[in-house]
Amino acid sequence: MKYQHFRALELLRLGTEQPGAQFRDGQEEAIRHVVEGDGPLLIVQRTGWGKSFIYFIAIKLLREAGLGPAVLISPLLSLMRNQIAAAKRMGIHAETINSDNANDWYPIEDRIRRQEVDVLLISPERLRNQRFNDEVLAHVADKVGLLVVDEAHCISDWGHDFRPDYRRVERIVRMLPANLRMLATTATATDRVVDDLKSLPGLNFSVHRGDLNRPSLMLQTIRLPNQAERLAWLAERMGEMDGSGVIYTLTIRDAVRVRDWLQAKGFNVEAYTSESGASRPELEQALLDNDVKALVATTALGMGFDKPDLAFVFHYQAPGSVIHYYQQVGRAGRALDRAYGVLLSGPEELDISDYFIQRAFPSRQDVESLTAALEHAPQGLSESELKRQVNMRPGRIDKAIHLLSLESPPPIVREGSNWQLTASRLSETFWERVERLTELRRKELNQMQEYVRLESGHMEFLVRALDGDPERVATPALQPLPTSIDHHLVREAVTFLQRTSITIEPRKQWPYSGFQEMSKRTIPFCLRASVGRALCMWGDVGWGDLVREGKYRDGRFSDELVEACAHLMREWAPSPPPTWVVPIPSLRRPELVPEFTQRLAESLGLPCHRVLERTQDHPEQKGMENSTYQAQNVLRSLHIRNQPLPGPALLVDDIVDSRWTMTVAAYLLRSHGGGEVFPLSLSQAGGSV
Amino acid sequence: MTLTTDISANTQVALLLTAPLLAKRGGASSVLLQPNEYRRFTRFLHENDWRPADLLTKDAENVLLHERLPFDADRLRLLLARGFLLSQAMEQWHSRAIWVVGATDKDYPPRLIQLEKNAPPLLYGCGDPALLNQGGLAVVGSRHVDEEVLNYAESIGRLAARSQHMLISGGARGVDQAAMRGALEAGGGVLGVLSNDLQRAALHREHRDLLTDGQLVLVSPYDPAAGFNVGNAMRRNKMVYAMADAALVVNSDFQQGGTWAGAVEQLDKLKLLPVYVRSERGKAFESLIQKGAHLWPHPNTSEAFQQTLRLQPTQQSSPKQTSFWS
Repeated sequence: MKYQHFRALELLRLGTEQPGAQFRDGQEEAIRHVVEGDGPLLIVQRTGWGKSFIYFIAIKLLREAGLGPAVLISPLLSLMRNQIAAAKRMGIHAETINSDNANDWYPIEDRIRRQEVDVLLISPERLRNQRFNDEVLAHVADKVGLLVVDEAHCISDWGHDFRPDYRRVERIVRMLPANLRMLATTATATDRVVDDLKSLPGLNFSVHRGDLNRPSLMLQTIRLPNQAERLAWLAERMGEMDGSGVIYTLTIRDAVRVRDWLQAKGFNVEAYTSESGASRPELEQALLDNDVKALVATTALGMGFDKPDLAFVFHYQAPGSVIHYYQQVGRAGRALDRAYGVLLSGPEELDISDYFIQRAFPSRQDVESLTAALEHAPQGLSESELKRQVNMRPGRIDKAIHLLSLESPPPIVREGSNWQLTASRLSETFWERVERLTELRRKELNQMQEYVRLESGHMEFLVRALDGDPERVATPALQPLPTSIDHHLVREAVTFLQRTSITIEPRKQWPYSGFQEMSKRTIPFCLRASVGRALCMWGDVGWGDLVREGKYRDGRFSDELVEACAHLMREWAPSPPPTWVVPIPSLRRPELVPEFTQRLAESLGLPCHRVLERTQDHPEQKGMENSTYQAQNVLRSLHIRNQPLPGPALLVDDIVDSRWTMTVAAYLLRSHGGGEVFPLSLSQAGGSV
Repeated sequence: MTLTTDISANTQVALLLTAPLLAKRGGASSVLLQPNEYRRFTRFLHENDWRPADLLTKDAENVLLHERLPFDADRLRLLLARGFLLSQAMEQWHSRAIWVVGATDKDYPPRLIQLEKNAPPLLYGCGDPALLNQGGLAVVGSRHVDEEVLNYAESIGRLAARSQHMLISGGARGVDQAAMRGALEAGGGVLGVLSNDLQRAALHREHRDLLTDGQLVLVSPYDPAAGFNVGNAMRRNKMVYAMADAALVVNSDFQQGGTWAGAVEQLDKLKLLPVYVRSERGKAFESLIQKGAHLWPHPNTSEAFQQTLRLQPTQQSSPKQTSFWS
């Protein structure tokens, strides 16, 4: 197919809305390469270079020459709104298919069938959805003219971004016949990743990293062990910032907490996390328009977000790798002379990153349990059946089957709604990869900690880590921000952190219908617990440390915690107000909770009655990985010893995890004539991240 | 094991031009090249010093614009544009431990090449392909048979296992499966040449350990998702014979049914191997013996069994010559 220079230039000008626009170095060669079918091409170019123009112009030219539509695979579809708008100006009809718009699939399907769609944008996860493959992709799969793989570094095991579904993309790329046009693009590929990608058959390379140096950025690290100190620092510096910015946190909980704190200090900030759902575009727009001072965001605010005049990027904790940090901080000051990139660092960041690293892969035992369950089920098992039969957290089961099904060749496969074992066994190379990737993540974490400890030369460090050229790094124009903290603000932040209590939602259902001969799966309303409260998160700053010390060091919860709970009760004011207090007993530490409950009851001026008892030494609830096991465990060991009092009760425990203990206790109390049951726990576990 | 991820460019072209690729979807099936058309096409390529793989390069247009191209160029373009679908189909097979080889690949079983124009351009399979080249005894018979015949077929399977020879069958209900069961239970190697549903058979729980441990290999010339079809089942019979050193007809109807047709074709036309019948009695066996079948000597020892496999096929005329002049 002949490349048409003038048409391509015309499309570029339409797309950029600049009548005098010219191609950048390498852009036109890449388009020509793709259009003329010179073999698969990989482009490594920095963000903003215009990779999307390559594929959109190529798609348009190919469509005009009569080729079938293109398929574009990208993990960041929600962030491609700007590029799609440019494509539309070139007369390209693009459709995005994702799990959020399943209702629109039928009209999109119709347009695909009528040949009206030029490019179908999908996430790599889409390819595992059978309905999508059978009903949507089926209409184009036999005539796809071009395959575009965005964020191609994810194909490499050595990439900083581990996205399991790219394993399937890699296989598809490997299995493509040479006559199918393929274009892979990425902005972040180290030498190692590029080497890895070179192993793909017949791939031509066009690698231009561009200059990684960002002279406008003033980079700085400040270590503040205490979260209250970091909150105080943020509250003090935010007021001095011109323009708007982003504050990154590692967890959703921290994003919400930092937002609440800054809002309480009068700042116009919003949280942006994976839980923001449909309001994400609105939040992005608010930041683009400087309608908010900052978004407090997790990594959900990802690669595609582009605000050239972003004035600052602060981090509440250090991310797990230098590449991630560079991508996040690199959003600041793209079109400004000066911008701040300040990393605050605290000890919990290591625990959090470690948790992510440990949880990234299933253990050998996980895999054995899953395989054993499937081994005994010749017809296979659905996901919910697996969750009932295997003692693993549901999230862990999901992750394990996902990873196993992406292995090459996979030991399990989904047939209809059931998972089945295949005639391939999980090879030892899987575990080698797990080990290698885990080690890689730890190295990245160490490298990030090296950055945290830097006194100077921050930009040089980042550029070197990304295999860029550190020679061109110059001293930034801005002075570093002060590292001092206002102690008055710190005290306020401490109070803020201690005030935040947590809601415990009652469980409404048994694990499955027929469970333990219950007549219904739904727990009758009159036998459920009411909404309860937990004083803090287990191990958290604020009260968390005191709870941990009380339980594991002193064997007694301090009077401070009694006071804090009494204070919480006053703020909470459950209705109708409890008229008596009942502790959850334990065989392992028989006096810990009852003794604390006794003191709390005295402080509240209510009677304390030990009407519940444990009859057998049961394994600790936290060793029980899923609902079925947890609920069974509690039902067998918890009993009514004495008749409960008729009025509303305050039910006290030290740690709430699965909520089954609270649920069963309330069920027992109420079915023995008790009134409403309000659970109160010192802390909530399981949510350390 | 051969992985679908590593298939050759020639085989990719064979798949693009002849295979339904994810059969359930239909799509281009009406324009697919039939095996004989594909053979014609490869002959045309060969005469012009091209290989199928050249269709995936920029030379493709030269091929498609050739004045003696035996098919409509647009039909071929349509088929060759199915590259993305091909990668999806291969992903689906790969995830079910199914491999595919083309007639020009080195893993293609030499025993199938003797079928010449009847050799399938593609062979799908699951299990260790090394089991394909070991010969053995083919057992053929009907789907609907009584208990006595099933017991007999099972005993033949056990006999092959004890003599350390492969048992080859079509994997259908009745005699085929009974013989396979006998051999597998006695620890013997089994090759099943399926005419349908390879994909389902590959996931069958009872097969799993046997497939992974190298005791069982299942192959089919048809798309792994293809359902049952009488024509396919008949054509598959040739392959059951071709993969074996000798064949035993356990039962057969007279002048009708697949077993009869397959045995007669072997005795009258192909003559690749000795054909035995279980007994002298009955119209079908009598007339098969007249056509050159031998009475099964009921070997009891390994050596005796080995002897039955070494017998030369009855040569009444040279099959090579026939095909040369035809």
